[in-house]
Amino acid sequence: MAKVRNWQLGRDMEYPYVADRPAKQFTMIMDTNKCIACQSCTIACKSTWTWGKGQEFMLWNNIETKPYGFYPTGWDVNVLELLGEQEWDGDDVYTGQTVFEAAPAGERVLGWAPAEEDWSHPNIGEDEPTGSADETTYIPDKPHSLMWMYYLQRICNHCTYPACVAACPREAIYKRPEDGIVLVDQTRCRGYQECLTACPYKKTMFNLETRVSEKCIGCYPKLEQGLQTQCTTACIGRLRLTNYLSAPDEVDPRKPADFLVHVRMIALPLYPQLGLEPNVYYIPPVHVPTKYLTQMFGPGVERAVEMYRNAKDDPELLGLLMLFGSTERIWHTWDVSDGVARAYDEDGEEVVAVPLREPTFTRPFEFATEVAGEPVTGFRHNT
Amino acid sequence: MAQAKITRKDALLYGGAAAGGFVVGGAAVTAVAVAVENEKAPVAGAPIVARYVDGDLPETDPGSDAWGDAQPTLVALAAQQIAQPFLEETLVTELDVRALHNGSSVALLLEWDDDSVDDLDGIRRYHDAVAVQLPTAPGAAPVLTMGAPGIPVHILQWRATWQRDIDSGGKTGVDQIYPEVIHDVMPDDVLPPRTAQLYWVAREAGNPLAQVRRTTPVEEVVAEGFGSVTHLPKQTASGHGVNEDGRWRVVVAVPSARTGVGAPLEPGSSWPAAFAVWLGSEENRGGRKHIANWQTLVLEAKA
Repeated sequence: MAKVRNWQLGRDMEYPYVADRPAKQFTMIMDTNKCIACQSCTIACKSTWTWGKGQEFMLWNNIETKPYGFYPTGWDVNVLELLGEQEWDGDDVYTGQTVFEAAPAGERVLGWAPAEEDWSHPNIGEDEPTGSADETTYIPDKPHSLMWMYYLQRICNHCTYPACVAACPREAIYKRPEDGIVLVDQTRCRGYQECLTACPYKKTMFNLETRVSEKCIGCYPKLEQGLQTQCTTACIGRLRLTNYLSAPDEVDPRKPADFLVHVRMIALPLYPQLGLEPNVYYIPPVHVPTKYLTQMFGPGVERAVEMYRNAKDDPELLGLLMLFGSTERIWHTWDVSDGVARAYDEDGEEVVAVPLREPTFTRPFEFATEVAGEPVTGFRHNT
Repeated sequence: MAQAKITRKDALLYGGAAAGGFVVGGAAVTAVAVAVENEKAPVAGAPIVARYVDGDLPETDPGSDAWGDAQPTLVALAAQQIAQPFLEETLVTELDVRALHNGSSVALLLEWDDDSVDDLDGIRRYHDAVAVQLPTAPGAAPVLTMGAPGIPVHILQWRATWQRDIDSGGKTGVDQIYPEVIHDVMPDDVLPPRTAQLYWVAREAGNPLAQVRRTTPVEEVVAEGFGSVTHLPKQTASGHGVNEDGRWRVVVAVPSARTGVGAPLEPGSSWPAAFAVWLGSEENRGGRKHIANWQTLVLEAKA
């Protein structure tokens, strides 16, 4: 075991390999507040990468309803249960154990292997709120019920310290030095499925026809052309940003991911306590109890929620969020002036411009007309 | 009986010792195989003597009468606990090994109890297998770590999945794992075969594990330590396995010349040989396997 620095935990931790951060790190930022679980991302991914025979159950990208949705079933509660209750020392340092440090004798990672039926219910718990069945989601009175649910967007986290890499006895999984994308070498994998047991996010999957593991490839053929991933560009809620994160000691506040993760700290990692330093970051939902969110996104949830609630008064942040989903191209810096947010490529050329506030138009009543000789009073919506 | 296991300490302590049938991990062999009619009873710890046969070897026939002439050796198996990940529990303790050779090939018959035939790979679904490990160079046995850097070993692994690939003509995928499966449109339904093949990435990339059309159920690899198994570009091994009455009987055969791999298996020579067994139903795969310490394989001189 080597000692590696995990900035999300505020401390060094044990990992089977020495730290070797990539030149830049692929990242995705998800604004959970904007998701309606339409699964456009899921279908974009599925129809691009996993429609082959043997991949029937595979969803490299999925959206699940929290707290009762899982794909595969129970993926997060199972590993939390295995790890047991752990502690943070304030907001800064995780004093509990990671899945590497808690690995039992003879194993490199504390993990569990989903059964085949666990992969068979990707929509389990869909739209189920907390609370009992005698409550209803139609709540005429205020204050509203304390029931809640929200949608969690999931791809491979392309972790800095991947558990799949740690567990593979053949070193068949690797992290690309140029962008930190984690890939399964399709010529080297021998199908032991150790990665399926080790990955706490359960984002490696077994191809039933080729008998080897496969996983989210971060749409690297698109990235190599300067384009954002399929799940990002298909998102109708414009809640995703494909970008690159600098190493924690090289933070550049002009870069969007660095700004969101390290400067404003509005985007938080998923289950950072597991110790993988995941590289997908979430703007937490503003309506969910802090206790639950803290378990899922670590300390700093309250600050992130507060930041998000105030985004309307923060043009720099608002402009950045408005640029999500506004272009297929990967952009590297942005600015906001005269009510317009502009994104720029690496050469400083403008990629896209988005107004902070869309112009609105009021349709005059004169649009009303006749239908079948009868006068229609009101607005027409179908012509 | 105490839990049998082979640890890293055992491997380092005993691995370099001269080959020769001591019982591994301190575990006593308490069970004695029952002699089958016209069969010799297996002897624990004895060298595996490959009888010389003048003529063809039963390379793909585990039921051949020719095997009756070979003396079986009982080889003790134990859970692999040298390298992570470990096999937690030993669930098969004995492998019966016998061998024949004809000067140009060596064949081994390997038998172990397993009443569950596991010959399809799926999610948490693993296959039965058996492997024979031989040094590439003559001399003392290397450490029991599947070779070491600069000290390659030659491994022959029979897999139940590969046997089914052959026996079924490659019908070993989704349709067999889930016989009631209903498919939507699949690439091979709508695309030319050459294009559809691209959707099986590992197969297209040439991964030998991902193929289903094959001619031998025995993979021939070299390794220089755990996790370093490398598929040989020229595959020369053959074999055949059947499971009858809860027992696998598997033949693994290889040309004696071992061209490009190692020193030839000459008549009259003696070699360390180690073994491994995987029980698919017990989620054995990769390093989670049952292993045996080095035994001695003696190739009888030509008559």
